[in-house]
Amino acid sequence: MDTLLQVLLDGILNGMLYALVAVGLCLIWGVMDVINFAHGEYVMISMYVTYWLGFLANVDPLVSMFAGGLFIFILGALTYQLIIKYTVGKPPLSALLATFGLAMLLKNLCLNWFTPNYRILSDTWLGDRTFQLGAIIVPVPQLVTAVLALVMIGLVFFMVRRTRFGWAVQATAMDKEAAELMGINTERIYLLVFGIGGATVGIAGGIMPTYLAVHPEVGTMFSLIAFICVAMGGFGSIPGALVAALLVGVVEALAGYYIAPVFKYVAVFGLYLALVLLRPKGIFGW
Amino acid sequence: MRFWIVAAVAVTLMLGAAPGQSLAQSQEKVIKIGTIFPLTGPVALAGQRCKAAVETAVEIINNKHPNIKVPLANQAGLLGGYKIVLVHADSQGKPDVGKAEAERLINQEGVWALIGAYNSSVSGPASLVAERAKKIFMCGASSAASLTQRKEMKYFFRTASTDEIESQEFVEVLEWLNKTQKNANIKTLGIIYENSVFGKNAAQQAMKAAAGKFQVVADVPFNPGATNLDSEIQTLKGKNPDALFGAVLGADYALMVKTMKKMNWVPKVSLNYCSGYQDPVIAKQLGPDANYFMGSTAYSPEFQSMMPAVAEVEKIFKSKTGGVPYDSDSIQETIAMLVLAQAIEKSKSLDPTVVAETLHANTWPSPLSLSGKVAFVPGGQNKYALSLITQLQGGKYKKIFPVEKADTKPVFPIPPWDKR
Repeated sequence: MDTLLQVLLDGILNGMLYALVAVGLCLIWGVMDVINFAHGEYVMISMYVTYWLGFLANVDPLVSMFAGGLFIFILGALTYQLIIKYTVGKPPLSALLATFGLAMLLKNLCLNWFTPNYRILSDTWLGDRTFQLGAIIVPVPQLVTAVLALVMIGLVFFMVRRTRFGWAVQATAMDKEAAELMGINTERIYLLVFGIGGATVGIAGGIMPTYLAVHPEVGTMFSLIAFICVAMGGFGSIPGALVAALLVGVVEALAGYYIAPVFKYVAVFGLYLALVLLRPKGIFGW
Repeated sequence: MRFWIVAAVAVTLMLGAAPGQSLAQSQEKVIKIGTIFPLTGPVALAGQRCKAAVETAVEIINNKHPNIKVPLANQAGLLGGYKIVLVHADSQGKPDVGKAEAERLINQEGVWALIGAYNSSVSGPASLVAERAKKIFMCGASSAASLTQRKEMKYFFRTASTDEIESQEFVEVLEWLNKTQKNANIKTLGIIYENSVFGKNAAQQAMKAAAGKFQVVADVPFNPGATNLDSEIQTLKGKNPDALFGAVLGADYALMVKTMKKMNWVPKVSLNYCSGYQDPVIAKQLGPDANYFMGSTAYSPEFQSMMPAVAEVEKIFKSKTGGVPYDSDSIQETIAMLVLAQAIEKSKSLDPTVVAETLHANTWPSPLSLSGKVAFVPGGQNKYALSLITQLQGGKYKKIFPVEKADTKPVFPIPPWDKR
């Protein structure tokens, strides 16, 4: 029983991290119908921001993650302004290919600037702390990440549902031309959505160097899992992305322990395939 | 308008001069060697170091270095003036890309020989391309034993140790610990390995070596580049083997150690193949958490008293890696290049078949190898490949086995995380 609870806890905590990475992608996808292939590279760059702030200025990731968020907000806004803007109204493939090119560019720039060296931030506030809850080991950095994910997802959800800006975002997502007729500056909405989507993934990446090595390839798998979470949850549905991410985390942990570790991603992708076949619009899709 | 006509004529004249230049270049005495390493992708760090290692060897071969005590350092070039020119290719760690790059290097770049490819999964298909084209393939660091079990291969040569040799060595270490350490009682074994040619071969050889001696209770493959290794370490913790063999590379190795710490579990002894454990950068980055793990090591800076020739060569290598010293894998690429150059010089020929026969027929002095020499058996394995078992203690690779080469005693069992 203890083992099952431990496996479930690990799955939930990993799922919350996936949710935090996925929510930005979900927002961008939901509002703009743009698949941002550079999402994993945003995670990686934010990890570098936090790492270098920690290494050079001794700033802890708990503080510097906000700098990571701000950096990726700016990067996201620039991505829109310099690339995505020119693909709006064009076939969806052009935005997809453009962000794929951006992903390659960012990854190789980091490879060039920072070398492929693995970088681990030591002596962080959260460090490798754990505490026991009966026989269950609770890792503090992952727990803090989960709480942060809940807060961030809550904030994004509140912003979209309860603020005037959020209503404008929803209106733009539903019908761009009608929103423009109502006086909404859709260009500005797109710019901010790309920025906010970037900021959330920037904060996720910002806290990750507490327990993960930083290197140019680190974002690849996170990016893939984020796509699955968003597609499973329903395109553009923030609660859907959260539920799907938790499902992915738990299925990964259960299959990894009770079937075979090498089977964990097979189970995740199998679940994704089954869900897409049974409900192509995702759990909360409409 | 007149300006544009003058400019066009000038450009045409400049372009016209180019073929003359390239003709002059082609008349230079050069031997083109193609390198295939994972310069990008999950193991790019190791690949870039291997590339720097080959470049280091070429710098020694092409120029006079009287202060360096390795063969050919005292002369400039080969065969009375031939220089080696490297053409680099990136396999990304992918077998299909590596194979395509091997074909490109041979068919389009016209390289005389290939060197690479770090990943066993790439060395396999890439060396088959070379074999078909009757080109020599020098393999430094790929460890899958199966690569040199292809006895029909005439142009394939590997300088490093194999996972078969290392597995036998690991089992000997366990037996030695059982004999010499109080209450060691090592009976069960767990194996964690990446789900690749390298990892699967290592696991297969580990099981073969352990058969009848230790009971394998946990067989844990994992996907390289995973977001977490929770299930993997939880499985090991559940089975709680006395000893662990790990074929885990790069960032995955760091994640494995961190996850063990998170789950508050360590085996009594952990022995690791290849460049996760052997990577001095990872060891430094992990800090005290890296301590007490063991592995096979063909070179680390702590070995310099046994291999004095390395120091001067390593200065050149470090200038290419931003100060990072050789590790067990990268030094093998320098050795492979130097041995190939010696064979060219000795055979006095640029016929690949003649040079391959010369490689097989001789024993080559190799001051950068632990054994000091290299000789190849049918299939291309270096029969003098040697590595020592080290344990990280205080961030240093301490030699612990074989006993006659040891400089310290092992810390056994690995202390629990909360008692360090």
